[in-house]
Amino acid sequence: MKTYAFEGTDKYYLDPELRAIVNMALAMEKPLILTGEAGTGKTQLAFEVARALGMRLEVLRCKSTIKGEEACYTQDTVLRLNDARFGSGKTGRNVENFYDYVIWGPIGRAFRADEKVVLLLDEIDKTESDVQDNLLDILDECQFTIREVNETIKAAIRPAIFITSNAKRELSDPFLRRCYCHHIAFPSPDDMRRIVNLHYPDTNPKLLKAATDIFYELRGRGFEKPPATSELLNWIGALEIADRIPEPEDPPLIGVLLKRAGDIQRFRKGDAGRRPYY
Amino acid sequence: MGKGEDARTASALFVDFVALLREYGVPASVKDLLELNQGLEKGLVESLDDLYVFARLCFVRRAEHMDAYERAFALYFFGIDLPPVAEGDPELFQTKQFREWLEQQVRAGKLPPRAVWELDPEELMRRFWDTVREQMEGHHGGSRWIGTGGNSPFGHSGNAARGVRVYGESGGRSALKVIGDRRYIQYSDAVTLREENLRQALETMKHMKAEGPRDRLNLDETIRRTARNGGEIDLVFERDLRDKISVVLLIDNGGYSMRPFIRLTQMLFTKLHERFEDLTTYYFHNTIYEKVWVDFRRVRAFPIETLLTRRQDTRIVIFGDATMAPEELELPGGALAYWGGAAQLPSTYWLNRLAERFRHACWLNPIPKDQWDSTYGAYTLNRIRRLFHMEDMTLGGIKGMVEFLSEK
Repeated sequence: MKTYAFEGTDKYYLDPELRAIVNMALAMEKPLILTGEAGTGKTQLAFEVARALGMRLEVLRCKSTIKGEEACYTQDTVLRLNDARFGSGKTGRNVENFYDYVIWGPIGRAFRADEKVVLLLDEIDKTESDVQDNLLDILDECQFTIREVNETIKAAIRPAIFITSNAKRELSDPFLRRCYCHHIAFPSPDDMRRIVNLHYPDTNPKLLKAATDIFYELRGRGFEKPPATSELLNWIGALEIADRIPEPEDPPLIGVLLKRAGDIQRFRKGDAGRRPYY
Repeated sequence: MGKGEDARTASALFVDFVALLREYGVPASVKDLLELNQGLEKGLVESLDDLYVFARLCFVRRAEHMDAYERAFALYFFGIDLPPVAEGDPELFQTKQFREWLEQQVRAGKLPPRAVWELDPEELMRRFWDTVREQMEGHHGGSRWIGTGGNSPFGHSGNAARGVRVYGESGGRSALKVIGDRRYIQYSDAVTLREENLRQALETMKHMKAEGPRDRLNLDETIRRTARNGGEIDLVFERDLRDKISVVLLIDNGGYSMRPFIRLTQMLFTKLHERFEDLTTYYFHNTIYEKVWVDFRRVRAFPIETLLTRRQDTRIVIFGDATMAPEELELPGGALAYWGGAAQLPSTYWLNRLAERFRHACWLNPIPKDQWDSTYGAYTLNRIRRLFHMEDMTLGGIKGMVEFLSEK
């Protein structure tokens, strides 16, 4: 069996622990569920794994309306009816042939691939729980059945499956049992400096340090929506353009970091986190 | 650690670890253990740090169990007994780890026998954590024996057959250093609700919903669909709107012990108000008599009789410490701060009626569960507990409350 080792990429700082986890999940061929706050790089990880290992990536972006089946395939009945009525012309489709009217979903494409691919189910917690249970069986056995013709599609090569979820409790226990789960904690200041350096290699280190320090100080104040990595990166970008090194007493462009009106008001009053209860 | 024989020895070693995990509240199973074994046979684990990561993948599925896992790992493999609280948390003084440490320190003459009274609590806390850090530093080396050293209850005999020698570091931070960060403590079920972990509680609260079956016929949609179907009948069902739940929050805003929690509790519920059909808050002092108050200052009264006319499936959350003088609860006219005279009924009467009327009534108590029998006012607390399902203000308690309130 071929082994895969993921070592991070030039755009993605990979924490050694996470690297070990990804490689263990790859070796054990288990789906890896990534949970954690927005901006911890859950989704990005699957993209980077695919890029680093040179695999194709199939992404299912989950919505609450998704039923699960369309993640595997859909049958274009309207097209088939149309072809049956008016003929398929020069398209090469044959009305008699069911598979000419099948549109494969991301899971279908991943299972039918003749090489190892990365399959990402993004924000699985948005789906209904019975959909998750359906998907669970499909992912566990790496096969699904096409109801209309009662044929089974089975993956010859198990894809490397990554699943992301924003909620921490909503996934059912059976679902979690069949996967590896990792909660990505928010990056430590050291890790954050590495992340920032990857994105802004040429920026004034003074600015980076000041911005990162203020960022962590603000996060500690218990805002309703604490600023996350992407906000920090945007803020540094904005500061660079404005050519300013932020002062802790009065950081500029605060709207880039804090998004809720209530948070900004609390910040302006300067009593955030220090307010007594009543 | 490699293949075959070694892996089998190792798996015997892990049986006790699984037992310890379960004791710490991590639902580890035999299946997980087998999986761990497979990984060992594949050679995925080359160092103790790898083991820490891989065993966690095998055994832990939920963020709220992570901290318990880390503590179990530290105890089992390093003989370091970490308390289930974060550094700087005064709840440390309630933990068994702290008491044991204190005894040891006194016995070793490092602290005076009356240290608890003589030393500043801050100082005691600092010394405790310094000891923990020393222990962790002491373990930091290139190679080590698992299960044989230190004061670990699992390997004190120094029996090498039970230990597994593990070499080397994995290049990243060592497991023990990572454990020392206690990154997952804010998700732990045993942790008290705070502003920082409000989000976790909110996630739990989102599950508070009563979903009935789709058993109400939507006539308009059925007619439309049937017409579109060319006369073939297509029945469309939907959920009864009444299945959205309504919540009444009763808050004791009298006692001092309640203060830090009132804002958090209200935030918890008001943030989710759109999930409820309606959310009403009333206030009371210590316990409930024939009226509660609409406003925080307890000026505008609201009769309990009216509250009792609400739909039976209304969710009642009573938030209070339930500790008071017994006569406040049980004697007619017992409340000192009250002016109803001896004619009024005792509080137990009203609490009983609330409990009888509303099946989904839960009492949320800021006093941690393990002190319910020993706290001041334990008598009234347990008296009230017989009437209402009671939970404490930890993430686990909130979860228990949501489960209880979501029951059909």
